[in-house]
Amino acid sequence: MATGVDQAAGMSLVVFSLVLFTYYSVWVIVLPFVDSDHFLHKYFLPREYSVILPGIAAVILLICIGAFTVVIMWKNRKPKKVD
Amino acid sequence: MTKLLQWLLAVSLLGALWALVTFDLLDLSLPQTYREVAWPMPFYLLISFGCYSLATVGYRVATFNDCEEAAKELQEQIKEAKEDLRRKGLKI
Repeated sequence: MATGVDQAAGMSLVVFSLVLFTYYSVWVIVLPFVDSDHFLHKYFLPREYSVILPGIAAVILLICIGAFTVVIMWKNRKPKKVD
Repeated sequence: MTKLLQWLLAVSLLGALWALVTFDLLDLSLPQTYREVAWPMPFYLLISFGCYSLATVGYRVATFNDCEEAAKELQEQIKEAKEDLRRKGLKI
């Protein structure tokens, strides 16, 4: 078994993904079948955000990857030698 | 039929089914609740796949046995690689 920080990090990843999966499943699948005056609706944003928020997260991820690539390539450009 | 064609066929079939329900192409007039569940389906499947991958990675990180010598050897190799790349001119 891994020890210390590895175990904590791994377990927190598992718990985080479980929480995310449960919340998203309830949002997408359970909520339409629940009466609109049930208190559960208070904990969830309007339905459109269930698509918009992951879309924004994906765009941010792509921007971070692109920015990292740009920074590395910028640091390694070779200026043309002038004789 | 190649694997690629099989996958494309399956994906397009499921995609057609989803479009049918979401955009009501055959005027089936399904109950509103079923249509509300159907339209985020592609995003839902994508996110569940992402969650599954994250959980698998996290679980394997938590249960992987520590290997002391391999860790030291890896650190040595990382230092060597950094030196090598620095000599060749790559700056991180």
